[in-house]
Amino acid sequence: MEKSCSLLIHFDKGTPALANEIKEALEGNDVPAKVDAMKKAIMLLLNGETLPQLFITIVRYVLPSEDHTIQKLLLLYLEIIDKTDSQGRVLPEMILICQNLRNNLQHPNEYIRGVTLRFLCRLNEVEIIEPLIPSVLSNLEHRHPFIRRNAILAVMSIYKLPQGEQLLADAPEMIEKILSAEQDQSSKRNAFVMLFNCAQDRAVNYLLTHVDRAPDWGELLQMVVLDLIRKVCRTNKAEKGKYIKIIISLLNAPSAAVIYECAGTLVSLSSAPTAIRAAANTYCQLLLSQSDNNVKLIVLDRLNELKSSHKDIMVDMIMDVLRALSSPNLDIRRKTLDIVLDLITPRNVNEVVLTLKKEVVKTQSGELEKNGEYRQMLIQAIHSCAIKFPEVASTVVHLLMDFLGDSTVASAMDVVVFVREIIETNPKLRVSIVTRLLDTFYQIRAARVCSCALWIIGEYCLSLSEVESGIATIKQCLGDLPFYSASEEGEAADPSKKSQQVTSITVSSRRPAILADGTYATQSAASETAFSPPTVVQGSLTTGNLRSLLLTGDFFLGAVVACTLTKLILRLEEVQPSKIEVNKASTNVLLIMVSMLQLGQSSVLPHPIDNDSYDRMVLCIRLLCNTGDEVRKIWLKSCRESFVKMLSDKQLRETEEIKAKAQISHSQPDDLIDFYHLKSRRGMSQLELEDEVQDDLKRATGEFIKDGHDTNKLNRILQLTGFSDPVYAEAYVTVHHYDIVLDVTIINRTKETLQNLCLELATMGDLKLVERPQNYTLAPESSKQIKANIKVSSTETGVIFGNIVYETSNVLERTVVVLNDIHIDIMDYISPAVCSAAAFRTMWAEFEWENKVAVNTVIEGEKEFLDHIIKSTNMKCLTAQSALEGECGFLAANLYAKSVFGEDALVNVSIEKQTDGKLSGYIRIRSKTQGIALSLGDKITLKQKGGS
Amino acid sequence: MVVLAASIISKSGKPLVSRQFVDMSRIRIEGYLAAFPKLVGTGKQHTYVETENVRYVYQPIESLYLLLVTNKQSNILEDLDSLRLLSKLVPEYCYSLDEEGICKTAFELIFAFDEAISHGQKENVTVAQVKQYCEMESHEERLHKLVLQSKINETKDIMKRKASEIDKSKIEKNRGERGGFTPLQSMSSGRIDSGFGSDTSLPSTGGGYGGSSGFGMSTDVESFSTKSKGRPSASATAPPKGLGMQLGKTQKTNQFLESLKAEGEVIVEDVRPTVGQSKPAALPPTDPVTLNAEEKLNVTLKRDGGISNFGVLGTLSLQILNQDDALIQVQVETGRNPAIHFNTHPNINKELFNNENILGLKDSNRPFPAGQSGDGVSLLKWRMQSGDESLVPLSVNCWPSVSGNETYVNIEYEAFSLFDLQNVVISVPLPALREAPGVRQVDGDWRYDSRNSVLEWSIVLIDNSNRSGSMEFVVPPADPAVFFPISVRFTAASTFSDLKVSNILPLRGGPAPKFSQRTLLIADSYQVV
Repeated sequence: MEKSCSLLIHFDKGTPALANEIKEALEGNDVPAKVDAMKKAIMLLLNGETLPQLFITIVRYVLPSEDHTIQKLLLLYLEIIDKTDSQGRVLPEMILICQNLRNNLQHPNEYIRGVTLRFLCRLNEVEIIEPLIPSVLSNLEHRHPFIRRNAILAVMSIYKLPQGEQLLADAPEMIEKILSAEQDQSSKRNAFVMLFNCAQDRAVNYLLTHVDRAPDWGELLQMVVLDLIRKVCRTNKAEKGKYIKIIISLLNAPSAAVIYECAGTLVSLSSAPTAIRAAANTYCQLLLSQSDNNVKLIVLDRLNELKSSHKDIMVDMIMDVLRALSSPNLDIRRKTLDIVLDLITPRNVNEVVLTLKKEVVKTQSGELEKNGEYRQMLIQAIHSCAIKFPEVASTVVHLLMDFLGDSTVASAMDVVVFVREIIETNPKLRVSIVTRLLDTFYQIRAARVCSCALWIIGEYCLSLSEVESGIATIKQCLGDLPFYSASEEGEAADPSKKSQQVTSITVSSRRPAILADGTYATQSAASETAFSPPTVVQGSLTTGNLRSLLLTGDFFLGAVVACTLTKLILRLEEVQPSKIEVNKASTNVLLIMVSMLQLGQSSVLPHPIDNDSYDRMVLCIRLLCNTGDEVRKIWLKSCRESFVKMLSDKQLRETEEIKAKAQISHSQPDDLIDFYHLKSRRGMSQLELEDEVQDDLKRATGEFIKDGHDTNKLNRILQLTGFSDPVYAEAYVTVHHYDIVLDVTIINRTKETLQNLCLELATMGDLKLVERPQNYTLAPESSKQIKANIKVSSTETGVIFGNIVYETSNVLERTVVVLNDIHIDIMDYISPAVCSAAAFRTMWAEFEWENKVAVNTVIEGEKEFLDHIIKSTNMKCLTAQSALEGECGFLAANLYAKSVFGEDALVNVSIEKQTDGKLSGYIRIRSKTQGIALSLGDKITLKQKGGS
Repeated sequence: MVVLAASIISKSGKPLVSRQFVDMSRIRIEGYLAAFPKLVGTGKQHTYVETENVRYVYQPIESLYLLLVTNKQSNILEDLDSLRLLSKLVPEYCYSLDEEGICKTAFELIFAFDEAISHGQKENVTVAQVKQYCEMESHEERLHKLVLQSKINETKDIMKRKASEIDKSKIEKNRGERGGFTPLQSMSSGRIDSGFGSDTSLPSTGGGYGGSSGFGMSTDVESFSTKSKGRPSASATAPPKGLGMQLGKTQKTNQFLESLKAEGEVIVEDVRPTVGQSKPAALPPTDPVTLNAEEKLNVTLKRDGGISNFGVLGTLSLQILNQDDALIQVQVETGRNPAIHFNTHPNINKELFNNENILGLKDSNRPFPAGQSGDGVSLLKWRMQSGDESLVPLSVNCWPSVSGNETYVNIEYEAFSLFDLQNVVISVPLPALREAPGVRQVDGDWRYDSRNSVLEWSIVLIDNSNRSGSMEFVVPPADPAVFFPISVRFTAASTFSDLKVSNILPLRGGPAPKFSQRTLLIADSYQVV
């Protein structure tokens, strides 16, 4: 274990204090100057200087000082200096401080005593502590609680030292006595903690004899009691019964923290439904009673855990959990909805949906800024409810359709997608939905929502009346023909309109987006307008919404209108017995299309119709003029079929994901079983059983280092010097999260003693050396292991340079051996991650750094190449598997990964198979910082060749 | 619920202050703190971030983050409480909430953090309490300092008072003095006085010694001194040879000094040369009458054998606790050693002593002076001088021999079979050494006094079992002369004179008071040169 670090202070390198100045100030009599000098000395020490010469000065001039601040700083100083030599023996001069410590322990000032006792808790050197023990013990009975509580902690930490049990054999007994007489809460807690850690049976004994008073104990003590219970029960499951009662009594404690802890303890102790229910209830109460968002979120996390382990019980709690929606915080609401959605059963679905509906209605009235987002969340929740339990769809769909005209495009879009899905999966609802849709169609304002609604109308208007009213509705929304008159042509140069259009174009051209299928292309005019902010419909609703949208130049919508109308006419031909009516309708529709084309080619609008839309409309016209069975089949049947296929595909994907998830949570037949008695542990007593809290703590403090596979270790060995160099060096590089450890083995190959041998390292990139190099002396043909820690602060390819410098006795000059560079691989820092397609697109637009790598490979299959890239960059492919299937000669996919430092790495692969069988295309990498883009690009360039 | 660290970092991610409450390596904590700014998002309405291993609970303060790093199982409610407390503490200690301000008060913040969180667990304290703890204003310390100060003042007062008393008594003395009162003596008596004043809490005896003696005991002293006043003329016929130095002096001094001496002022002169020597007579006498026979040995031996000086000075002193027992005579037996000359105090009836070996005052109606303090009244002195080597109680031979890089020193002693010597210490001066000399062989114990560079060889008791002994030690090469003069200290229970008190004769009849006698031989100056 490396030396522990107990404090950090930012050190301004600009004004380095000189050791001499410090020394002078320390020797003087000026107290403020002394304080200042002590502070500087501590800062220097923290910064890696060793300042051995200061120690004696401090012992001589600072130890005797009466000033309290100086004494406290002195303790800090003693805390951070090296008290042992390289072999771990206590330095002899450390004895000099003992007398001072003892004086401090007998100081009339209770605070000096207290802080000194606290300092002792951080001391590990038995040699220094031993002479102080009598003084420490005498402080246990001091009348000031501040001293007592620290004295108890000091006793505990002494007792926990390797030979502590010999030093203080009767400590537990003493502390137990103190515990029974102690009044101060903190001291009592500390005493109990001491017993808990050092003599568990005594602690248990005390607890059991004072069970009745447990609810009256202070919060601090109750927390420790719960800790103890958890620990005891883990080692001795049979004892559980004794303690459950205590926990139940503590559940009524006044302190929320205790209640929270109780619930946690209950869950860890028992899986009995009553216990779980009690815990869940407690969490729900906390959820409501605590106003702090952090608490709510973490309680929700706990509930989430409970949900995954005890779903059946949590199902009953669903309504209590739902109450958390009352919080205005979106994160809380989202988490709540997530939990609730997993808990829905046929029994409670109605109730839940009712609540959700109420919440949706509430969002309409309130004027909160986040309402739109919240509504969208609710709609999605309802959507998934309805998918799972189609019977509820009927109760919600009409309500939701009120939001089609919502000003937030996203939620309206969600609604319309929901409606589209419901109308297909719930044939019973079709009629009512279509009627409703036709009624509310005029309210829809967004172009995207419009086009989706039009598709629904075109697809699901089956009966004669429906088709007719469909055509009528569209016509009404388009308004009177023609779209523009000659007079309007004169107004074409309306400056406001024009400028608006211009800005929308410039905005969109600056923000190229990636399409849903992963193709990277400049956007067509049609989608541009679709993406632009909710296309404002000028004027009142009296002018139809479609008309105003068309007049802003949205010809993609025009094409959709044309297609819908064509579809409706084709259907009308089937259902309308009267041929005249059909023809009449057909000509009307043709007229509309023609006037749309005319509008597109006129100079009224700032830019003319795009070719795609033009072609589409012309196709529709041609079709209506000249219908055939083939075409009719395509338009009326195949469209629907492919939609159904898409839905089933989606469902299949979802079930597969669930299946995959379920499989992950189970262990493999050949998985290793962890016996926690055999886990790697350091400095722990053999009897102590680890539990999750301790594991948790150890992971956090870095004590728990996973032992990697030895073969992996060997793979990472780097030779640093040549075999014929006087000094041979090799290193293996271990990459941890935030640091790199270089384990360098240095072998003296000469027959001479190398003096002042020093491994000097320098870094490039975002790497930082932690310690200063030390000098060593290396005997002839002996070897030495040197460890160097390097801090990493961002994902970037780093290079470590170095050389070994040494002196020999007969050559006066220092000899330098230059080492091979060590390259730190970016792949160690990034890991595959998932993000939504929308988030990917926004990030893609936001990130400034792009690195474009031309594809140059020997691999011939598109899919094969993609897999190769994924494997070599350690990224996750966001594009669905189904979209990558099949042979079409080109492929586009998005890859995503996140670094341990929370940086995002986006990659888009677009490749096409050339006629000669070779792949061509580009790989684009985007990231917020230059480092990732560059390093990842280098990596890809290096690896893309394949073959090896 | 464990708080791993409490830290303050700037919004740009620079760690300003961090206090860790559990053992963790520097690289780890720096890593956590460096990762934090990247993890914390904007526009969130909650203030915690969880990572794979730890949870950060934070609070933005102007351009800084106050941050607790906890483990993930930690109790969020407790942590938030702690955070709230810390966030109140920070502005208390830090005047400007920016990087500079925090750096300036980093240590104060660390002290405050220590009070708010102990061992990673929340302490039940308020801001006011933390402030109080950090100020360290202790009532008890003030009290302690007051007590200390008052003690010092008191002692100073006593000192002043004593000094003025001494001055007063000096003036009084000077008034009666006709000269010859050496300032040294007055100084030393003053020293003893103040020593007594502060040491003993019995003002009656202490006062009796000091200036007040002029009143408390004046009658006694007066009577004694008036008697002795006539004495010098009588003692003029006393044998001029073999007078003790005190007595010799007494002849010249006036009655005032005489009376002082009679009171026991003798100790002043006795104590001075024997400072640091063992004073076996330190036990206060418990018997009503105590007789002390003490011989001091003044010997200088030559390093290669032979005596350059050998002298014995003896005193018999009488101490009577109670005035009632003071009317007595003392029957003594002498060892019939012809080399010894006895000398009585001028007030002692010389004939009586010469004829019957009885010590009594010339005026048989007068009592001996009584009192608890001092060494009593000296009645008899004697001395012996000789060149006879066989009388030397202990001879020491020292053989330094240089061989190569070292000097071997062999010392041996031989004791004269008459005496059993106690607490023998043979001190050999050494050249200045860095380390203690290597002692190869020793009978008894040895000790090296590095400050005076003296090797002390001590033998607790030399009796018939170890009449001779030796020691060998090695030092770096040195001139043999360095090891001289060797000085020896010892005591013995038998004396050269073999003087014994056989009986006490009460003059007024009745039973003789109980008496004790002590006999002591001390090596006063015993050197090998």
